[in-house]
Amino acid sequence: MGNEGIARAALEAGVNGVFAYPGTPSTEISEIFNHINNFQNSPSNQEKYPELTVDPVYFEFSINEKIALEKAIAFSIGNRSALCVMKNVGMNVASDALMSVTYQTIGAPLVIVVCDDPGCHSSSNEQDSRYWGPLASVPMFNPATPADAFEMIKEAFVLSGKIKLPVIVRTTTRVSHTRGIVTYGNINNENRIANFDRLPEHINIPARTAAAHTRLLDKLKTESVLALLNQNTKVVLNSNKTKLGIISSGVATSYITELLHQNDFTEKVCVLDLGMIHPFPESEVLAFLKKGFEKVLVLEELDPLLENCIRIIAQKNNLNLTILGKGFSGLLSTGEFSIDLLKKVLEEYLEVPFNKNENIPLDNFEKYLQNLPPRPPALCAGCPHRATFYLLKLAIPREQSELILCGDIGCFGLGALPPLKMLDTINHMGMSISMAQGLYESFNSSEKGKKVVALVGDGTFFHSGLSALVNAVYTRANILVVIFDNRTTGMTGHQAHPGASRLPKYHEIDIYSLLKGLGIEKLEVINPFDIRESFKKLNGAMEYTGVSVVIAKAPCIFLPDFKDKIDKKMQIVVDPNLCNSCANHEDVSLACSRCYAPKNNLSRAKAKLIAEISIPGDEQLCPANICNHGFFNSILEGDYKSAVEIVRDKMLFARTCGAICHRPCELFSNENSVVPIKKLKHLVAEIDQNFRDFSIPMKRVKNAVKKNKTIAVVGAGPAGLSAAYDLVQNGYEVTIFEKENKAGGMVTFAIPDFRMDKTGYDYEAMQLEEMGVKFQFNTSLGKEISLEKLAKEFDSVILSIGMNKSKTIDLIDSTIPSAKRTDALSFLKSFNLKEEIIKPGSTVLVIGGGNSAIDTARSAKKLNVLNKIIVSCIETESTMPAFAEEVKHASEEDIEFIHDSFVETCSVGKDGELNVVLHSHEKKTFLQNIKCDFIITAIGQTTDPSLFAQIQIDENQRVKSENSFTGYENVFVAGDISSGNNMSVIGAIASGKKAVVAVRKSLENYKYAYEGEMALERLNTNPAPTLHLRKAIVDDDIQVEIERYNLFQSCQKCNHCIDNFGCPAMVKVNGKVQIDMSRCNLCGLCIDVCPNNAIRFEVIEEEELEPEEII
Amino acid sequence: MLVCKKILIAGVGGQGIVYLSNIIVEAAMLSNIPVSVSEIHGLSQRGGVVTSGIGLGEHTTGFYGTAGIDLLIGLEPLETQRCLSYLHKNSCVIFGNYRVQPYSVNAQMAEYPDINSFAKYLGEQCKEVVFIEKFPEGIDAVLFNVFLLGRATRMKDFPFEANKIEEAIINTVTAYHKEKTVKAFKLGVEFELKKQSA
Repeated sequence: MGNEGIARAALEAGVNGVFAYPGTPSTEISEIFNHINNFQNSPSNQEKYPELTVDPVYFEFSINEKIALEKAIAFSIGNRSALCVMKNVGMNVASDALMSVTYQTIGAPLVIVVCDDPGCHSSSNEQDSRYWGPLASVPMFNPATPADAFEMIKEAFVLSGKIKLPVIVRTTTRVSHTRGIVTYGNINNENRIANFDRLPEHINIPARTAAAHTRLLDKLKTESVLALLNQNTKVVLNSNKTKLGIISSGVATSYITELLHQNDFTEKVCVLDLGMIHPFPESEVLAFLKKGFEKVLVLEELDPLLENCIRIIAQKNNLNLTILGKGFSGLLSTGEFSIDLLKKVLEEYLEVPFNKNENIPLDNFEKYLQNLPPRPPALCAGCPHRATFYLLKLAIPREQSELILCGDIGCFGLGALPPLKMLDTINHMGMSISMAQGLYESFNSSEKGKKVVALVGDGTFFHSGLSALVNAVYTRANILVVIFDNRTTGMTGHQAHPGASRLPKYHEIDIYSLLKGLGIEKLEVINPFDIRESFKKLNGAMEYTGVSVVIAKAPCIFLPDFKDKIDKKMQIVVDPNLCNSCANHEDVSLACSRCYAPKNNLSRAKAKLIAEISIPGDEQLCPANICNHGFFNSILEGDYKSAVEIVRDKMLFARTCGAICHRPCELFSNENSVVPIKKLKHLVAEIDQNFRDFSIPMKRVKNAVKKNKTIAVVGAGPAGLSAAYDLVQNGYEVTIFEKENKAGGMVTFAIPDFRMDKTGYDYEAMQLEEMGVKFQFNTSLGKEISLEKLAKEFDSVILSIGMNKSKTIDLIDSTIPSAKRTDALSFLKSFNLKEEIIKPGSTVLVIGGGNSAIDTARSAKKLNVLNKIIVSCIETESTMPAFAEEVKHASEEDIEFIHDSFVETCSVGKDGELNVVLHSHEKKTFLQNIKCDFIITAIGQTTDPSLFAQIQIDENQRVKSENSFTGYENVFVAGDISSGNNMSVIGAIASGKKAVVAVRKSLENYKYAYEGEMALERLNTNPAPTLHLRKAIVDDDIQVEIERYNLFQSCQKCNHCIDNFGCPAMVKVNGKVQIDMSRCNLCGLCIDVCPNNAIRFEVIEEEELEPEEII
Repeated sequence: MLVCKKILIAGVGGQGIVYLSNIIVEAAMLSNIPVSVSEIHGLSQRGGVVTSGIGLGEHTTGFYGTAGIDLLIGLEPLETQRCLSYLHKNSCVIFGNYRVQPYSVNAQMAEYPDINSFAKYLGEQCKEVVFIEKFPEGIDAVLFNVFLLGRATRMKDFPFEANKIEEAIINTVTAYHKEKTVKAFKLGVEFELKKQSA
């Protein structure tokens, strides 16, 4: 390799010390000396190989190129020969040292190797370092091959020693990284004794500079320089059969000699190679130009530096020939040369085709090159930088903020690429911290002051970040600096740096102590793999005003520190049942538009990281199969509109349920460990703009495949309306028959108005009309329509007529005059119609322990605060079927409860007062006497039994099997008349949905069971658990309040790890993530990243382990 | 006169591309054939593309251009396909089906090409094509490179005898890995394509 040749040549030239900063494509040169130095300094080697270790070659990776060159200059002044190695941009950093020492003097030889990178394979620019020769007035070599480089290094050492000037050897990637055969010579073991001469040249003061400049230019005219110029300006192809000449330099010479030789065109052109380009070999070039060419083509990569010199010579000497260069046949000052480019140039210049070897390209190969997936470099599997970026991504949500992240040079610059995309700027090395403070000042003056973030690698921090940080502290900038401390200079191949020296010869500098010393108050060290703790610290540093620094410290995967910790007995596995599978419904075609919310929704992952309470999604199921997990996460994300849509994916009544749902989804845990779904539903459904927009369900109706089937729904209560909502979205034609003059059913007529705003409910119900559902009001079953007729005329019928006939107590009916008694439904209806059937100041006895009883009692109280309300029920407080919440409200409104009681006898007193004797339900013994003015029975409802004459009904008059209706195979039942799920609005909704599933099974071979069945079942078996009231969340603190929770379940639309983490060991096959164990480094971070909890460590079974290798 | 003057090895960082080219260089030097290599491996450790061009004979560099490669050794199918423009109708290709899925494919921004149809196309277009659809069991994935090189030695235009390559392997490999490496190489030399189809 060219770089190896350079190192070998320096050894042969007797180099005593090497000073370098790593950087592609120069790094291999320094690495060789690093290795030699380590080898020679090892005591065991010193014992074993005394002759090889007698005068060790000093080596260091200095903290930056400026220090490297300064130290190399000083080393040389101390009479020890030095080599200084860097990449193209390194020379910019070092140039201050170069530009003045030339006016002074060095001692022992000093050679600088600078490696350019035309085409920017691994650099931030493709600057042409050849300018440093003329700019600093130092001799410069420009080798074309590894063999050239090898020879020129040796010549450079000799020359530098003679003229006491640094000499530069400039290579390019294609010279440094090319391998070729080089014949080695002997290593020069000449021992230079350190010595310092007190020369006047060592003191550079203005009075001496003019003379020094003249002296410098004279040095370039000395005999030794001229001899070398002559020696390195070679005619590589000579022919007297041509009038065409080429002057080329560097790798261009390699390309054209190959092309000319392979095609046997060596006599078609004369080629002059310029190996030494400063000072310019004027006389040699002039001699070549005078060979009588018509044309001369100049071939050099990047700028037309030589071309311009040649044009000057031709002009000065009045030469009559055409000089071609940049601009000829696609020759540009940008990018690197290639075989194809120079082939084209030569064909045009020599006017002959280069197709001698008749290599014919494959037919239509372009077709196979189209759309090939790119393969950009990525951070390694297990890289701590990815962990830090991921943390930043969650801590600093970029989509929602204007926060600027200033990046820097190094491996972690890959964080700018997808999927991380966590950098806004990358400039030259060390710029990040200056960029952040400069941007901060820009915004600070415009009153939009905000914290700016700088991200810098540990190596870069020492290279040039430290002084910028000092400046930030000094100027009181408000910036956060994240130091990506992976304990090495990663990008260039894991070199040591002052923060991670690894060798006893270096003193390690602790970044934390260093920064403490600068007076940085907010200073955190995090282990990015400890993702929870790190997240907190990162947030704390972000919130701090002033300079805050987070040192993200974890070793690069290539370091022993990382490798030694890997437990090879473990593997990482992904549970395919949890990855990309929906835990909510098996039928993935069900509307679930926003489970996953916007593409970069990070809330699920963030919740996993920071929540105090993690709740598996199946603990908070909704009988209507609403994706509570998606709903909750949309709110976490601040996306309230999506939250409403997620409700509407499954049902119509977001606002109604937000108001009156008895939230069975929250009932099965204690109040501190459930997500307050109902409260959240209320908050998001109350936002009018979102609430009123039904465009998405409308669109679903519009896009549904028409089934050309008609369905009659009888009863426009919540069950019937919900059934219609699902049917119409599945392409059915729906007609709803309703005996009242408007839709709504029990919610409209029986729920007292103070419990909810009915206008929202009416609006929701009305949407069905917009969706194309037909309504026929004032149409009663058994009167205007008959079941027989409906069953005949429609493909299916869903009966959801509800139970609107109140049960009564014979004793009361027979004893109490009708003016002093009523039933709950009649009363609530009159209440909602604002009729006053009770005299103010009355004592009212409500009999019953269900929700109607409580609604009745509360309504009676609302009629007049002077009314005294007593509720008598047979159940105890804990067993009464009414929702505990409602009971609590009632108690707070001074409604009196007499539990475990029933009416034994009652009578009407002389003054019309009603006397009621209550006995204990349990003991059947006397309890108490009550005097009251009015009795309302609220012991439940029934339906007209004549409707179901032939049907099996249970003791509550409910149809036993909700999916079949004996006698009519196409009639299905929903709502209160179906057994079970009769307690609540959500139960009614769910039963309507369930009836639709039954309809679809019968009409379109739908194969899935009702997806809310489990929650519905739970609702039926445990209809009225006790519930404590939660502290109310108000709109203002909704985001903060809910951050405590993580309601998680697997989601079919999840692509979080691929979209946001992107570990190269993660492969997505058939929609599921797999871990490629051949690439995995077992860092285990993906386990924390997966919001579905699908990834885990697993011990590899013994037999799978390969037997230990024997060394 | 060598038929095969330019060899290209292509793959993904970590697959041992540079190591393979070192073996071929060693074999060339053992055979007194001038050799030159050009590698591009700027960010190889980070999963990027790595290619190594080898030129054999006088005035031959490791640089390569359109239709300039006589033998392509592909360690990864997608990267093999990416080198298509360097092939010509007398080229020989050997490549293995060891996929390394790039991020763009995982993220569903791009599709991994259909390698079987590509292999078929190559077979129709080139002089000799060997596609190892499935590596035999018992070879460590890191030694697929040497296995492939072993199989390549049986190709018509391969410029070295198998024993020359074996000697080169022994000269370049560390003692610790020698046995395994030589074994994988020999498995490659003896590998029968018929077995694979059975």
